Amino acid sequence: MLFTLAYRPFLDPLPLTGPAWWLLLIPLAVGIAVVYKAVRVYDMRHYTRNVFMLSAQIIFGMVGAVVGIHVLVEWIIPFYDTFLWPRMM
Amino acid sequence: MTHDHPPARETLQMPAGVLAFLLPGAGHLYLGEKKRAIAIMVGVLSLFFGGILIGGVDVVDREEDFWWFLPQAAVGPIAFTVDFVHQRHLKLNDPPANETAEWFIDNPPRRIKSLGHLNEIGSLYATIAGMLNAICIIDALWHAPPRRRRTGVVQGRL
Repeated sequence: MLFTLAYRPFLDPLPLTGPAWWLLLIPLAVGIAVVYKAVRVYDMRHYTRNVFMLSAQIIFGMVGAVVGIHVLVEWIIPFYDTFLWPRMM
Repeated sequence: MTHDHPPARETLQMPAGVLAFLLPGAGHLYLGEKKRAIAIMVGVLSLFFGGILIGGVDVVDREEDFWWFLPQAAVGPIAFTVDFVHQRHLKLNDPPANETAEWFIDNPPRRIKSLGHLNEIGSLYATIAGMLNAICIIDALWHAPPRRRRTGVVQGRL
């Protein structure tokens, strides 16, 4: 019965299904950069550029981690299991 | 690197620290750093309420998620108010002892429990908001305004 109720912002979770949840990490990265750089930069004239740079660093860092873990799990470990490990035995 | 004057000494700014805890950004506003104050206020409150928007009010829960709430509490009275409203007015109460499960039909919960990725991401948003505001409180508390007004210094880096 509860799931037939209309979505109420701030009370119920976002009605988001599927793998799109990871897109929510992008505004998180921007939010972190906005606050962190507000404290960190000496000269606020360079603030916007610093926020942009840090946001990009966080996002590309996360993408890099995803690619690295994907390669490790999908390629390196199966290769090790299939070819290297039997020859070592 | 040479400076025209010696590095500014940090001074303890207790009112700024208290104000920064009471409202994100208010400490820097008190110190006369309006742009920083606006950036902090917008950033911290966007992250905190963004987390509640994503995961529902369930992401701020002092009783069931105490270790998540601990850093969230650094957002200040706003976090405590959200938790108070959640605990007192939105949580599903236990039915009276002599009632059956049908009691829930007439007394449905006022919010849906958030689970899975949305709960995790929402909690992460609100928690990071608190941790970032803790940095801002410390920055307002131990403040060296001349350091930031000086020109020609290296910009902030990670």
